Formats: sequence, C-alpha cells, structure tokens
Amino acid sequence: MEIKLEKIDDYRWRIPKSYKPGMRVPGIIYADEKLLKDIYHDKALEQVANVAFLPGIVNASMAMPDIHWGYGFPIGGVAATDIEEGGVVSPGGVGFDINCGIRMVKTNLDYENIKDKLKDLVYALFNNVPSGVGSKGDIRVSAREEKEILIKGAKWAVAQGYGTQDDLDCTEENGAIQGADPDAVSERAYERGKAQSGTLGSGNHFLEIQVIDQLYDRDICDYLELRLGQVVVMIHSGSRGLGYQVCEEYSRNMVHCLQKYNINVPDRQLACAPVNSPEAQSYLGAMRCAANYAWANRQCLMHLTRLTFEKVLGGSWQGLGMNLIYDVAHNIAKIEKYNIKGKEKYFCVHRKGATRAFGPGNPAVTERYRKIGQPVIIPGDMGRNSYLLVGTKKAEEETFGSTCHGAGRLKSRTAAAKSIRLDVLLKDLESKGIIVKASGRDTIVEEAPQAYKDVNDVVDVVHNAGISKRVCRMRPVGVIKG
Amino acid sequence: MKNYEIFEHTADIGLRIKAKSLEELFKNAGLAIFDVSTKRQYVRNKTHTDIFIKLQAENLEELFVTWLNELLSLSSAKGLVFHNIKITKLVDFNLEATVTGSDIGNFQVHNEIKAATYHQLRVEKSPDGWVADVILDV
Repeated sequence: MEIKLEKIDDYRWRIPKSYKPGMRVPGIIYADEKLLKDIYHDKALEQVANVAFLPGIVNASMAMPDIHWGYGFPIGGVAATDIEEGGVVSPGGVGFDINCGIRMVKTNLDYENIKDKLKDLVYALFNNVPSGVGSKGDIRVSAREEKEILIKGAKWAVAQGYGTQDDLDCTEENGAIQGADPDAVSERAYERGKAQSGTLGSGNHFLEIQVIDQLYDRDICDYLELRLGQVVVMIHSGSRGLGYQVCEEYSRNMVHCLQKYNINVPDRQLACAPVNSPEAQSYLGAMRCAANYAWANRQCLMHLTRLTFEKVLGGSWQGLGMNLIYDVAHNIAKIEKYNIKGKEKYFCVHRKGATRAFGPGNPAVTERYRKIGQPVIIPGDMGRNSYLLVGTKKAEEETFGSTCHGAGRLKSRTAAAKSIRLDVLLKDLESKGIIVKASGRDTIVEEAPQAYKDVNDVVDVVHNAGISKRVCRMRPVGVIKG
Repeated sequence: MKNYEIFEHTADIGLRIKAKSLEELFKNAGLAIFDVSTKRQYVRNKTHTDIFIKLQAENLEELFVTWLNELLSLSSAKGLVFHNIKITKLVDFNLEATVTGSDIGNFQVHNEIKAATYHQLRVEKSPDGWVADVILDV
C-alpha cells in the first residue's frame, strides 16, 4: 500500500499516526518534491512508519532527505526516545558499522599548484592506507592496547604520536565517548578488531582529495580559513569488524528482550530494550567501545594520510597546513539533554545515517566552533560534490540536533553493476579530472555517481529547511576506495 | 544453475536460497554468502582449515541468521573464506557443522558483507523442499 504523505511545507512531509495502528508518533520526512519521487521507489517510508512503534519515541520518527531502504531503520533515520518514559535503545537504530563517520582535513595547498603531483598522491595514498575487504593495518596492537583503544578512542592514537591534542578538540566527543565498557565486548569482537586498526575497509568507505569550488558563507569560510581552489581531504570509515560483531550479538540478544519487556515492533531488526535495562546498558557500553575504536581508526587513517602528503610533496604536515576541521559520527546512539515542552530531560537519540548538527552556543560543541555552530561534513558520490555545513539552533529544536549524512543510495549494487560500464565510467571521471584507485573493480561500479542521489539536492533541503547551513562545497579530484 | 538468486535491495543484497532439505538449505546459504562476495583468484596459500561450529537458537529463523553471522564472523576473525560445509546435526534449533576454509588471500573479495539481518527474513517449507530469504548488510 502506498503511503499518502501530508505536506507540511516545501521541505517537510508527514506520515500520519493513523497510517498504521501501533505508531506512537507520526513520521516526518525532510525532502522536496524531486527527492520524494526517489524516496517512493523503495520501502524506506514504510520503515519510517515502523520506527514510530519504538516505546518512548518522542515527537516523530524522522527521515533526512538522503533516506533510503535499510534493514529495520531506514538509512537517514533519526529517532529520540524519552528515557524516563521507558524509552528504548535499538542496536538496529545504530547499525552494524557503529560510528561510521567522516572527517575533513584542510591543507594550505592550491589545487593549481599540486595538479601535476595528484596522480602520485593518489597512488601513494592507495599504497600507504590499507583498504579493501578484511584489510589489515600496519598499526598492530596487543590485546591490552586494544582494550585501551576501546576506552580512549582517538586519544589512544594521539598518545602513540598519531596526531595532536588539536585533532581531539576537533572530533565529536573529543574522539572518546564516555561510558565505554570493554567487558561488554566479546572475545570474537576483540579478535575481529585486533588487526584492523588503521584500515579503511571497503564498500562506500573512501579517502578523497577534494578542491573547494564554491563558498556559501564567507564569514565562516574566513573563520575556518577556507578559500576557493584549496585542497582538502575527506576520510570515511567506521569501526570495521569489531562494530559489526557488537551489533550482531546485541541485535540477537535484544530479539529476546521484545518478549521480556513486552515490546511490539513490526520488524525484528528493530529489536530493542528500555535504556535503563541491564541489556540496554550492556549494549550501550559495547557500542561506545566500537565508537571509540572507529574514532581511533579515523585518527590513524589521517595520520597515514599526513605522512603520505609529507612524502610526496615534501615538508611537514604542519607546514602543509593539514589540520583537522572536524570529525563526525553518522551511525550512533547518544544520550542527550533537550528541553521538550518546557521540561529538560534526557533522550536516547539514534542517528542511523544521520549527522549531529548542534547550533552556535551549544556547550557540547568545542569552544573554537561555539560561535559558528558544529561543523557537519556531508560526503557525496565520487563524481559530484561534497559539502561542509554547520549545525543550527533550529536543528536542536526540530530534529534533536540532526541532519543528513550523505547523498543516499538510489540504485542497488546489483542494478548499478548491471547498468554501468566500468570503462565508460572511468573515462567520464577522467574527463572531469578525477583519478580513481580502488581495490576491486566492482566497487567502482557499485559506487558510481549514478547509483546515488545528487548530494546537491539533499543539501538544498537541509539548508532550506534550516536544520543546517551551507558553508562551502567541494569537488573530488582523487578517490581511493576499498 | 545456482541454488540461490539475488533480489534487489537499495543498500544491501537480498538472497533467496532454495534446497531439497533443511540441512541443504543451511549449507547452500552458507556457501552463497561467500560466492556472492568473493572470487577465487590466486593460490597463495594451499592450507585448508577445518572449524567445528556448534550453535543453538530459540527458533529456526534465529538459527539461520545466527549461522550465517557465525560464518561471516569466523571468516573475518580467522582470515578464511569457507568453500566446504558439512552439516552434521540439525535438530530442534541446534546445529553442528564442520566448515572448511582457505586463506582469504587466495580470493578477490569484492563486497564486505557486514552481517545477515532479520529484516524481511523468511525460512519456510516450499513445494520443492525449503526456501529462505535473507537481506545482507553490505
């Protein structure tokens, strides 16, 4: 049955609570008419309605404009539950790749001056940054160290010399979320995580060299020292096998909680438990470990990137101006405080393919960005654009401080593989001046621009809806895929 | 003809597996997740490793997903791709199997499957035996 959406305004659409008995709140979709057509293609809207069944869910089951069909939660979904009112946490609302996220590093280089070295850079990055399925990193850790990573996150990496305090200041949660419980992580998860520190992974994970091609908010660009033609780097990766293992084990465990806590959800992948239950506390402790592992991972990946730039271009990374702008998680559940209907309370905010977008003045935002709002990094596909945005007060009021996380998939991997020819695609990218190096040929086709929505449309919606603000836009010039 | 087919899912891969018996269904599904994600390409390491697996669940569907996830997890932890599966016991949601894997370095791996999910999961009897649908997170 096709869902009839109620139009709230040009960028907001409602799935009424009456759509399905059992929905506790309505669904709200952030999209314009153009994106809605794509959204109707798959079963994502049904999943928005299903998330509205979660006990304790507040305001709405929300979907960002990059929404697409996931498993349980839609990708691009946001759901906050009221902990005092029996609100739940669902491992499916975070996903297997816990703290999959992205960081943006600036340089003081102008594209025009390094154009001739670009190929060397891409190939050197491909060789120095372990990527691909099951890739093992050169950064090997002992069992004791792994435990330390799970508690200290990126702080561990910095203590090893893989970065600076400044990097931690520019990472969500300073690179280590509190409340990690290494005893809640299984032996198998440890085993899977051990060899993968400092690895990029495969699928949609990437490392990209990009050039700023459009400035929107000049004051913020000046503040961040960003200008047209400047080279930046984006790194997209997550918690690898360790995170998958944590999610898998706790999802299974929480299927049993549905009966125990008398919870009715229409999809077992939405299995959940009240935040205050021992099962949920144990999951949150393990999830935070995986999140910290991911922050350490991206810190290590940035370190390897800096070393490679030093090697290819000469000089030190400090001299090349390779400072971290920000690192954000886009698969995570967080306990956050909000004022709802005049009362300050704690909520469990699930962001499944969604980015935190706190506005100016929020104490959780690092001091240097408190004036402008938290940087939000939105990667697009390998042929079009990526964006830097900042969070807004409106996002805090409307979406539990959340916004989109990327372009959002349009075509399935199999459909992309069937309809896109690798040689044509590579020629097309080359004509745009984009160099691609990937572990597997299939990955390039599956991740082709045609497989994604246009990130420009997605960002237009979140900007126009006021849940984040455009700062500048980049285009890719060098792409390293797993 | 392959004993599985792929069905469309925007972000992930859906697999439909068919078999004459339940044991065969578990075996075919286990082999399918590696067939869909890897291709044997090199002979870098000829060693084969046998691993014994023992699992228990509360119902058939849970056992099916747990089985696939155990294979994915073992594959990632041990660096193996499994190419032979022998189901030795499958009674009352208890499963015992011996799986044989060879070094992942012998394979080209084009998709990292993160896990098998419960979303739209189905394990059912069919006129020809058994059929299962499972969506894998890629």
